Amino acid sequence: MTISDRYFQRLVLAAMASGFVLLLIAAGIVVLATSERQRSTALVVHTYTVERALDTFSILSEQLETARRGYLLHHRQASLDTFRRTVAAIPIQLDQLQFLTRDNPVQQSRIVGLRAEAERHLESARQTFQRLADPNPAMQAMADFAVDTSFVSMITLRHLTDVMNDEEERLLARRLAAQHEASFQLNLVLGLVGVLILLIMSGASWIVLRYTADLSKAQDALRAVNTGLEGAVSARTAELSRANDEIQRFAYIVSHDLRSPLVNVMGFTAELEAAIGPLTELTNRVDAGAPELMDSSARDALADLPEAIGFIRASTNKMDRLINAILRLSREGRRTLAPAPVDIAALAASIRDSLQFRLNELGAEIAIDTPTPAIVTDRLALEQILSNLIENSTKYLQTGRPGRIVVSARQEGQRVIIDVVDNGRGVAPGDQERIFELFRRSGVQDQPGEGLGLAHVRALSYRLGGVITCISALGAGATFRLSLPKVLKVEPREGMAA
Amino acid sequence: MSEHSVNIIMIEDDEGHARLIEKNIRRAGIANAIRHFVDGTSALDYLFHAPDGPANNGPALILLDLNLPDMSGIDILAKIKADPRLKRTPVVVLTTTDDKQEIQRCYDLGANVYITKPVNYENFARAIQQLGLFLSVIQVPEVGDDA
Repeated sequence: MTISDRYFQRLVLAAMASGFVLLLIAAGIVVLATSERQRSTALVVHTYTVERALDTFSILSEQLETARRGYLLHHRQASLDTFRRTVAAIPIQLDQLQFLTRDNPVQQSRIVGLRAEAERHLESARQTFQRLADPNPAMQAMADFAVDTSFVSMITLRHLTDVMNDEEERLLARRLAAQHEASFQLNLVLGLVGVLILLIMSGASWIVLRYTADLSKAQDALRAVNTGLEGAVSARTAELSRANDEIQRFAYIVSHDLRSPLVNVMGFTAELEAAIGPLTELTNRVDAGAPELMDSSARDALADLPEAIGFIRASTNKMDRLINAILRLSREGRRTLAPAPVDIAALAASIRDSLQFRLNELGAEIAIDTPTPAIVTDRLALEQILSNLIENSTKYLQTGRPGRIVVSARQEGQRVIIDVVDNGRGVAPGDQERIFELFRRSGVQDQPGEGLGLAHVRALSYRLGGVITCISALGAGATFRLSLPKVLKVEPREGMAA
Repeated sequence: MSEHSVNIIMIEDDEGHARLIEKNIRRAGIANAIRHFVDGTSALDYLFHAPDGPANNGPALILLDLNLPDMSGIDILAKIKADPRLKRTPVVVLTTTDDKQEIQRCYDLGANVYITKPVNYENFARAIQQLGLFLSVIQVPEVGDDA
């Protein structure tokens, strides 16, 4: 990840965080605006209630007056009923009004006046009814008199309620405006919040989309890398296999070309050796017949000849062995591979059985971890690799420790890894690559061998498209790890000219 | 060998080998003339064109090494066995190569005997002397018998 990417990520995170903070603040504002709006609505409703109460009061007063007048004209029971009902209701209505307008001192003071006037009106009405109900005609006549005051009271009452109504209307207008304002603000805030949510949502969606795209791109890249890796591995093994072929070919040619001069060296050495006999006979004859012809240097030279020839023979014999070893190696490398399914465990078991006598002698054991994965490879080559490795393990045991060799195999991707693990004397880290070289050996040289086995193992591993490595510490056993393709593919090989 | 006129033609690039082969053939009591060629070109020229060569005159026996500087002995073998005048001439392949496929190829092409030169001289000498004994008893056809 580049620095600009990291910077961008931080920016995105900050933007998202501030978006969410803004959203929280907006939610708070919405709550506030809503309650403000509710408050103003409640006030409007309150004003309406007051107005209705005032109206009710006016109606009651009018009804009272109407009932009084009606009763004056003819004494009907209905008027009397109305009188009683209104007389009872008016004070209650006044109390109600006083309670409703308790937050408004102006209206309160007006209610005091209203109440006084209403009391007067009630009193006048009560007198009218009392007098009309009186059997005394004089008293009845006085009832008319009361009409006048009642009339004045009515006018005053109407005026007072009008004033109060006006006040409430004024309040209503103000409160409606406030309510409207609050509604507008609420809508505005809601609108803003909506826009904010839209922005944050689209931002979040964009980020999600971007990250998803990045993720799938990364996955693609990973897949590509994996495929590339597999390709690299097969390309590498193909390269190794090619290099191996090249070396095999080289080894074959070299060993043959080295053989020719060796035939001469050995042949003419033998001829020389054969010449020693007649020459010795000659010197003996000269010694006997004419000692004056003989000098010591000729005698010494003849005496040294067998030794010189002995050295030449020893060297040529050794060279012959080495050349034959190379030749064997290259011949093995030229064998045509025949891939077939191989049971690794069974193969290891057969090798163990063939070594059983020696294992009993050594008191060593071989364990095979089953099951082993299926593999398609050249059976003979794998058998030679395994038997070389296992035999090596039995050869280089640590004295004083019963040998234990474990053969195991597992699958890793398209490859099978075979481990031959021993508890023997191990290989010094510096020698772990060297031991695979031709004629090279490591550690105490107390076992017969020409340093061919592991070179052979490596050459065979390469041919099978595999790799062999040694993991070990001196004195702590060794693990020889063979990695082979699960399925060996054999390319048609061109025949090798002699 | 029925007639002394049978020439032994040795195609061998290594002078030392040639000398050792000749020595041991002589030790086996073979006295036939031995013509030695160190490269394929001159050998082919002699085989096919020389007036005293086997194609034009007289029976012969060819000792052939496969590793020659200018061509493969196998090519020479193929040419000999493809030529109507020479195809019956016995060819003994005597070489260091012991590759199974090479041996098969030589026999497929009509080689009569294939011998690998042993590196060990005692074995080498014995092999050549035995070859000499073998040469002394085989019959070589006359050129043009059935051509």
